[in-house]
Amino acid sequence: MSDALAGLGGSADAGALASPAPVPQESAAGATRSRFWARLLRNKVAMAGAIYLVLVVIAAIFAPLLTSHDETFATRFQDILFSPGEAGYVLGTDHVGRDILTRIFFGARYALIAGAEAVLVALVIGVPFGLAIGYFRGWADRIGMRFVEIVVAVPAVVMAMAIITGLGTGLTNAMLAIGLVFSMIITRLVRAEVFAAREEFYVDGARAAGASDRRVMWRHILPNVAPPLIVQTTLLFAQAVLAEAALSFLGIGADASQASWGRMLRDAELSIDRTIWPAIPPGIAIFLTVVAFNVFGDGLRDAFAREARGGRVGVGDVVPKERSAAAAPPRPPGSDDPLLILRGLDIVFPKPGEGTDMTVVRDVNLDIGRGEVMALVGESGSGKTITGLSLMGLVPDPGQASAESIVLDGRELVGMDFNDLRWIRGREIGIIFQEPSAALNPAYTVGRQVAEPLRVHLGMSKREARERAIELFAEVGIPDPHKRIDAFPHQFSGGMAQRVMIAMALSCEPKLLIADEPTTALDVTVQGQMLDLVGELARSRGVSVLLITHDLGVVADLADRVAVMYAGEIVETGRLTDVFATPRHPYTEGLIAAIPRNEPRSGDLPTIPGVVPPPWEWPDRCHFADRCPYEAIECRRGPVDLRQLGASLTRCERSHELELRGVQHAAVVAIAGWEQPTGEGEPA
Amino acid sequence: MLRLLVSRILAAIPLMLMVATLVFFLAQLNPVDPAATIMGDDADLESLAEKRAELGIDRPLVVQYWDWLNSAVVGDLGTNWFNGEEITTELRDRIPVTLSMVFGSLIVALAIGSAFGVLAALKAGRWPDRTITVASSLGLAVPNFWIGLVLAYYVGVKLQWLPAIWPTTRPDSLARWVEALILPCVALGISASAAIARQARSSMIGVLQRDYVRTALAKGLPVRRVVSRHAIRNAAIPVVTLAGFQTSALIGGSIFVEFVFNVPGLGRFGVDAILRQNMPALLGFVIVTAAVVVVVNIVLDLSYAWLNPKVRPE
Ligand SMILES: Nc1ncnc2c1ncn2[C@@H]1O[C@H](COP(=O)(O)OP(=O)(O)O)[C@@H](O)[C@H]1O
Ligand code: SF4
Ligand SMILES: [Mg+2]
Repeated sequence: MSDALAGLGGSADAGALASPAPVPQESAAGATRSRFWARLLRNKVAMAGAIYLVLVVIAAIFAPLLTSHDETFATRFQDILFSPGEAGYVLGTDHVGRDILTRIFFGARYALIAGAEAVLVALVIGVPFGLAIGYFRGWADRIGMRFVEIVVAVPAVVMAMAIITGLGTGLTNAMLAIGLVFSMIITRLVRAEVFAAREEFYVDGARAAGASDRRVMWRHILPNVAPPLIVQTTLLFAQAVLAEAALSFLGIGADASQASWGRMLRDAELSIDRTIWPAIPPGIAIFLTVVAFNVFGDGLRDAFAREARGGRVGVGDVVPKERSAAAAPPRPPGSDDPLLILRGLDIVFPKPGEGTDMTVVRDVNLDIGRGEVMALVGESGSGKTITGLSLMGLVPDPGQASAESIVLDGRELVGMDFNDLRWIRGREIGIIFQEPSAALNPAYTVGRQVAEPLRVHLGMSKREARERAIELFAEVGIPDPHKRIDAFPHQFSGGMAQRVMIAMALSCEPKLLIADEPTTALDVTVQGQMLDLVGELARSRGVSVLLITHDLGVVADLADRVAVMYAGEIVETGRLTDVFATPRHPYTEGLIAAIPRNEPRSGDLPTIPGVVPPPWEWPDRCHFADRCPYEAIECRRGPVDLRQLGASLTRCERSHELELRGVQHAAVVAIAGWEQPTGEGEPA
Repeated sequence: MLRLLVSRILAAIPLMLMVATLVFFLAQLNPVDPAATIMGDDADLESLAEKRAELGIDRPLVVQYWDWLNSAVVGDLGTNWFNGEEITTELRDRIPVTLSMVFGSLIVALAIGSAFGVLAALKAGRWPDRTITVASSLGLAVPNFWIGLVLAYYVGVKLQWLPAIWPTTRPDSLARWVEALILPCVALGISASAAIARQARSSMIGVLQRDYVRTALAKGLPVRRVVSRHAIRNAAIPVVTLAGFQTSALIGGSIFVEFVFNVPGLGRFGVDAILRQNMPALLGFVIVTAAVVVVVNIVLDLSYAWLNPKVRPE
C-alpha cells in the first residue's frame, strides 16, 4: 500500500491504519456470508481488479502458448533494439533483442510465484506465532512482541536485505526473506485479533462451560481472525509483487536468465540513453497488478465491514416549508409572547442502505416562554436531540430539516444560512450535550474553549476572555478556577466537565439554553446538583431552557411545561402540573410510571415493554399503537392529530374516554431520588 | 517532556543492541567464505587463511561479535573489507545525502498528502474526494524506481531540465544540491503522499463526526476555524503515526531511487555490501538505518505529546 519497496513493512501497517473501522466479526454465519458476497460482487472496482488478476494468472500459466518467442531467446539481432510493431515484435524488443511481450507473459509467472512464496511464508510463520502469543499472553506475548519490534525497527527492505545476505541472493531466497519480514505483520495482526476476540464474552463463556482450550481457540477465535487476515493477505500479495520487482531490479532477486518484470526494468536501464520504451510495459504490468491486488483487498475489507458512515463538516440549516394541511394545529399552550415559536418542523434522513427518505421528526410545534423551562421528554430514538439541534441549524448531515417558521425573539431563523446562523449559535442559543467529556476538544485547555465564543462573538481580547472565563468557572461552581482553567478536559470528572460546558454555553448570555440530557452520562450522585445548577443559573439570568431528557423524573421540580415526544411526534404538551396530575396520552402515563426511584436506568421503560421502533417502521396511524395498552379499533384509522383536551394538547384517539393515572407533582419530587445520593455510580 | 525524552532514549538502547545482534548472526548464515570473495577464485589456501586471519573471521563467532560490539558502542564500525576504509567515515559521507532525500520527500509528502486528504474529507463523496481517492490508490501502486526511470528519461535526458543522474563531483552549491535532489525526491515521495492523503482523509472524516466538532459549531465558529482549530489537530495524531512508518518506508525506498539516479547514499552502500558479502559494511548500514528510524520515532513521540495532552506527562 505504500511505496514500491518502500512499502514492505511500514506500508502494510499504513493500510491497517487507513481503515478506522476494525473489520467486525461475522457471527451470524449464513446470512452475513451471502451479504458479504453480494457486497463484494456489487463493488465494480474490486471486481475489475479480480478480473484483471484472473487474466494475469492465465497469462502466467499459458505463457509458452501465448507466444512463439522464447523467454530468454536473444535474437541473432544482438544489440538491435526493435520498436513496437517492428519485425513482428508487438511490443518491440529490449537491447539484446528479446521479445518484450513474451517476457511480460513470463514475468507474470515470476511475479505470482514470488508473491505466493512470500505470502505463504508469512502466513505459515505469522499465523501460528500470532495465535500462540495472543492466546497464551503473558510472557509469550512479551517475548514475541519484543522480537517483532526488533525486526520492524529497521525498514522492511533493509531487514530483508540482511536476511538475503545470510541466505544468499536469488529469487527464492529474496522472497523467503520478504516472507519472513511480512510474517511479523501477520503476527501482530493475528495477535491483535485474538486479543479482541478474547474480550468477547463468549470466549470466556465457552471456557467456563468446560470446552477445551484448543476447541475454544478454533471455534471462536479463527472466525474473528479470518476476515482481517484475508484482507491483509491480499494487500501483502501486492507488496510482495512490488518487492520482487524491486529486489530483482537491484540484482539481488531474479537473475539474468529469469524474465521477471523487475529484471526487465534493470535491463531497460542499460539502454535508457537510447529509449525509455523497454521500461514502459514491465512498469505498467507491475503497476496494474499491484493496483488490482490493492483494490481487491480494499473491496474485501469493505465487504467484510458493516456500513460505514461518511462525513464532511456535515450540518444543515432549516429550509422553509409551506403548510400543506388545511387546518392549522392548535397552538401549544403557553405565554402570549413566547421567546421561541417553532412551527411545523420536519426532519428527514435517508433510510440506511437505501436511497429513499424516512421522516424522523414530523410536524413539531413548540413554544418556549421567556424565562421558562420547557422539558422535551421521550425515550431515546424519539427525535429530541435533532429537534434541539435544528433550532441552531445543526442538523447532522445527511439529514434535512424544514419548517414553516422558527421565530427567536421576533427574528425568523428559517431560511438563514450557515453564516447568518453563526450569530445565533453560541450567542442567542447555547447548548450543552449529553457526554460532556466527548463534547470538549481533548487537544485544548478548557479555558481556551470557554474563551473562544467570547472572543468570536463579543470581540474580547485574549486577556479579557480569560478573565471572564475564570468568572464563569466560579459561577458554575468549579473550585480553583484560576488553576483549572489551564487544565485539559481529560483532567476533569464528568460532572466538572459538564460545568465547563455550562460555562461555555452561557458565556455570551444567550436567550435560550438547550440542555440535551445534561445529566444522563453523569454519576447519579451529581445529577441533582447539576440540575439545580442549571435551574438556578437560568432563573438568575432570565434564560429560557429547553431541557431534553428521557426521564420525566428529572424535570419534576425544574420545568414549567412539558412536551412529550414519541417516535418523531409530539404526543402531549401542557403545563407540568397538568401533565403530571392528569396525563392525556398513554405514553405519558407510561413515562410517569417509569420515573426511576434510584433504580439504575436503562433504555427500556419498565412499564411499557419494547423500545421506540426505528423510523422506517413507524406506521401511518398512531405511532404508539404497537406498544399501547389501550389500543382499539379506532386507533387504526389513520394519522392522529394533536387536539385540545383540558389545558393540554394530546395526540390520541381515545384520550377523552381514557382514565389515565397521573401522580401528584409534589409526590414525584419526593420520590424522584436525586435528593438522596445513593453512591451507586452509574457508568457513563 | 525531558523525562519522556530520556525514557524513550533509554528504551531505544536495548532495541538497537538487539537489532545489531540479530543482524550479526543472520548474516553469518551464509556459507560463502568472504576471504574467497575478496581474493578471487585463484587464491591458494594459504593466502586465504592469511586473509581470514587479517579480517579476524577465523576467530569464534562470539568473539567476533563481542569485539564488533565493543568498538561499535564507541562509534567504530570496523574497516571495509574491500577498500580498507573506515566504515564510520564512509557512512558519515553518505548519511546526509540519504537523509536529505528522505526528509525532503517526507516533508513534501506531508504537506501535499495532508492538504489533499483534508480536502477529500471536507468534500467526502463528491468529485474532489473521488478524484483524490483514485489518485492516491494509484500512487500507492507505482514502483518508485520506475517513476524514477521515467522521470530521469523525460525530464533529465529529453528535456534536460534537471540532472538525470547525481553529479559525479560533489555538488558545490546549495542550488546544485537541490537541483540534484528534486527528481529523486519526487520519485520517492509519490507513494508517501498517497499514503498520507489516505490517512489524513480517513482520520479527518472520523474527527468531523466527533462531538467536540459539533460543540465548536454550536459556538457559532466559522467552518474554517472549526476545521483548522478543532479538527485538524486531532486528525493529525494518526497522520503522525503514519509519518513514522513512512520514514522507515522512505529509507527503504531510497535504496532503489539511489540506484536509479546513481545517488551516493546509504542505499547503494547497502546493496554493494550484500552483493559482495561485505559484513562490516552491511552491519554498519543496518545499524545506521535503525538509528535513524529510532530517532525519528522519538521525535514523533514528542510531537504526540504536543498534539495529544492525554499522553503528556503531568
Ligand atoms: N446523524 C444521523 N444519521 C442518520 N440518522 C440519524 C442521525 N441522527 C439522528 N438520526 C435518526 O433520528 C432518530 C432520532 O434521533 P435523536 O434525535 O438522536 O433521538 P433522541 O435524542 O430522542 O434519542 C434516530 O433514531 C435516527 O434514526
Ligand atoms: S391512539 Fe390508540 S393506540 Fe395510540 S395512544 Fe391513543 S389509545 Fe393508544
Ligand atoms: Mg438524544
